[in-house]
Amino acid sequence: MKPKVAFFDFAGCEGDQLQVANLEEELLDLLGQIEVVSFREVMKEHSSEYDIAFVEGSCTRLADEDRLKEIRKNAKVVVALGSCATIGGINSLKNSKDPDEVRFTVYGDKAKWFDTYAARPIDAVIPVDVYVHGCPINREEFLHVVKSLLLGKKPDIPNYPVCVECKKNENVCAFERGEFCVGPVTRAGCDSCCVNEGTICWGCRGLVDNPNENSQKEVLLKYGLTVDETINKFRLYFGWQERRK
Amino acid sequence: MKIISKQDFSDFINSLIEAGSWNVIGVKSKGDKYAFGSLESADELRLDYDVTLLPPKKYFFPQRETLFSFDVAKGSFTETTTAGKPMIIVGVHPYDIVALLHMDEVFRETKADPYYGEKRKSSLIIGVNIQKVSKWNFSPSMGCATVDHGYDLMLTDLGDRYAIEIGSDKGELLLNARYAKNVRDAYANEIQMVGLRKHEIMTIGQQKLDFSPRLIPELLKNNYANSPFWEKHSEKCLACGSCVLVCPTCYCFDVRDNPDLTLERGERIRTWDGCLLEDFAKVASGEDFRPTKPARYRHRYFKKGKYLFDRFGFVSCVGCGRCSSNCLPDIANPVKLFNEMYQETTNAGVELTRPRPPEVRIKTEEEIVFVPKLATIMRKMPMTTTETLLEVQFNDSSDLGHRPGQFVEVSVFGVGEAPISVTSSPTKSGSFELCVRKIGSVTSKLSDLNKGDIIGIRGPFGNGFDVDFLRGKDLLFVAGGLGLAPLRSLLNYVLDKRSEFGRVSVLYGCKEPCELLFADEVSSWAERKDIEHRLTVDKCPEGECWEGNIGVITTLIPGVDFDPETTYAIICGPPIMYKFVIKELRNRNLPDDHILMSLERRMKCGVGKCGHCQINQIYVCRDGPVFNYSNIKGVPEAL
Repeated sequence: MKPKVAFFDFAGCEGDQLQVANLEEELLDLLGQIEVVSFREVMKEHSSEYDIAFVEGSCTRLADEDRLKEIRKNAKVVVALGSCATIGGINSLKNSKDPDEVRFTVYGDKAKWFDTYAARPIDAVIPVDVYVHGCPINREEFLHVVKSLLLGKKPDIPNYPVCVECKKNENVCAFERGEFCVGPVTRAGCDSCCVNEGTICWGCRGLVDNPNENSQKEVLLKYGLTVDETINKFRLYFGWQERRK
Repeated sequence: MKIISKQDFSDFINSLIEAGSWNVIGVKSKGDKYAFGSLESADELRLDYDVTLLPPKKYFFPQRETLFSFDVAKGSFTETTTAGKPMIIVGVHPYDIVALLHMDEVFRETKADPYYGEKRKSSLIIGVNIQKVSKWNFSPSMGCATVDHGYDLMLTDLGDRYAIEIGSDKGELLLNARYAKNVRDAYANEIQMVGLRKHEIMTIGQQKLDFSPRLIPELLKNNYANSPFWEKHSEKCLACGSCVLVCPTCYCFDVRDNPDLTLERGERIRTWDGCLLEDFAKVASGEDFRPTKPARYRHRYFKKGKYLFDRFGFVSCVGCGRCSSNCLPDIANPVKLFNEMYQETTNAGVELTRPRPPEVRIKTEEEIVFVPKLATIMRKMPMTTTETLLEVQFNDSSDLGHRPGQFVEVSVFGVGEAPISVTSSPTKSGSFELCVRKIGSVTSKLSDLNKGDIIGIRGPFGNGFDVDFLRGKDLLFVAGGLGLAPLRSLLNYVLDKRSEFGRVSVLYGCKEPCELLFADEVSSWAERKDIEHRLTVDKCPEGECWEGNIGVITTLIPGVDFDPETTYAIICGPPIMYKFVIKELRNRNLPDDHILMSLERRMKCGVGKCGHCQINQIYVCRDGPVFNYSNIKGVPEAL
């Protein structure tokens, strides 16, 4: 029997689900292996009977915790989909600001009606089995994760930095181009897609398990960033991970 | 020596491209840097480059390479060793040529790698002597700034023309009139100019080793245990692997499966890996055999400067400087490190002598076969909550033909491959047994398979136990937990040929009674008068029944009766167990060379190439997994 799969979204842009919806030719093959029972972005139907739950977005309010716990209860496997869900994503940028200021900036005079707390990845609320990192996720890696789950295998999610993929792709190092990159501490798996296109790594897949942050910060300073700029480089995606340490 | 004008050389390259028989590759611009790439026209060629981002090894040992594709339902495999179109690589600097010569040795030693070899054999190298030197290059210090073989043709820029040295018949043939026009013999003064140019090259560069590179192996040997040195130098290491990934002599790789969405078809691929990466030596249980950053950092220098020297007689660094230029915290520069180490060592009054090059006898015994043989699970017997015994038979009914103590690489297609020791004795023919602990992806999947399911087997691999040597000796088996599995292949062999061996004693321990493996066989030992055995558990939780000893395995050793002169101990267990068991055995006066052990490591390829199972200079998959303690006790990182 095909496993039943459901997609859920919390605070996020739904760009990761869009990546799934955009799988194009692979989508039909994928649907040959799984049954999608809930996917708000592409279908009306909904069912709470599912085996695998893909959860996009970060948790930014207490009220969302119950919904996450419900998902955890229903699903055999919970997969965090995309940076907001895996590492708190750019939503966590607000965590370094005064919460009231954030609320008023976003909701203005309606702020008192909206409850919010520090943005967090979903594993801060419920146990997560598998992570599909990235902002947005890499479709290849999404398929790899699905195939692994179907085969009963632990997905190969790298625990080495983006530099590995950058070197294999023979990119000119961003630092050599006079730019600043956090690839040396960011978890690979994206095939260094941003650097391949001539830009830099922003760190969307989060830190590797044991990043040498001090050394990376030293490198950024050595190549000419100010202390504040260096902090900001780390804050963009690593905010939650840094704070948790 | 031949001479060709630059215009004629361009035409030569263009005619090679137009001929269509080759993939003509050359050095091209990439941003402000250079990279080897396919040439569409000779105009793209930049022979005045300093260094390329990646060395040309990527054409023979690609970043990602399909070893074979599989279709499990059909039971078919398609190997992809064939090289495709032969390549002509234009513009290879001498140091990269030396590096390829090193790679040739590594990939042909003992077991030849057909994927590398085929591509190498069918290709041509057109080298060029260095015209511009990178800031980090120290190839003159390593004696690799010029080279007198390893190329088919070698160019030297003489202003408006190139001098061409012919390095092979293949190269000479290429220069025929069909492709190359107006090639003439060099005049004496031109030969002299080339000689002068090469002499100049020997003095180029800002990076210089303060001593002879021939001292590097001894220098390293003197500093292995110099922990403060390695800690200091590796402190800033990002573990990004850049230094090893850009290296022209690095060859470590990983192998994994990439199934398609049918889950039945897919390919097995190999990708570059690097010993500087954090999980390089980690096995599925989480045990990491090179767990610290300084140790990984040191391993890189030792591999280049000592281990490969011990095996092949060369220091496998050619001085290209790519590692130095790619290291953001600037800690990967071998010149800086070696010079500092040399200073420190000589200041301490140590006199370094040039080591005698080892006797190198590189033999190619056979080609590596990466495609597994298909086998069927004939019987499945769960033994504990995590261990399962599988009886396996090759689909072609052949025997495995293993020695006790050897292992096989077991494939679950689509999931991957894992090394598993053969637990049955070779005296059992027709099929063999594997004891699988559910711990990683492959073993979890294996444990879920059933009778009739198809798996793949490569091997047997490793040395195994020397049963001829052990014949007539008294044997003391010491097994901890799953360590019984590999020892059982020898134990059952001995029991099947009981009269050929002396006394047999077995000490077997596990954590709890419920983890006891091969319980039926263990109780059958009690009925035999020709085998003495003692069991222990670390602890017996409430509700479980245990009448034997309680305590770690070493607590059994004082009570066992054996004659140190005639007894050989055979040990296998979790990594932590060895040193304590050895200590106890030595307390009982057992000589070091009477202690044999089977070691665990991450044995990925099984054929001594991928680098994951290395203990210093030893490849466990090939040189082990069975070791005599007297040979390995001096090897740091082993126990």
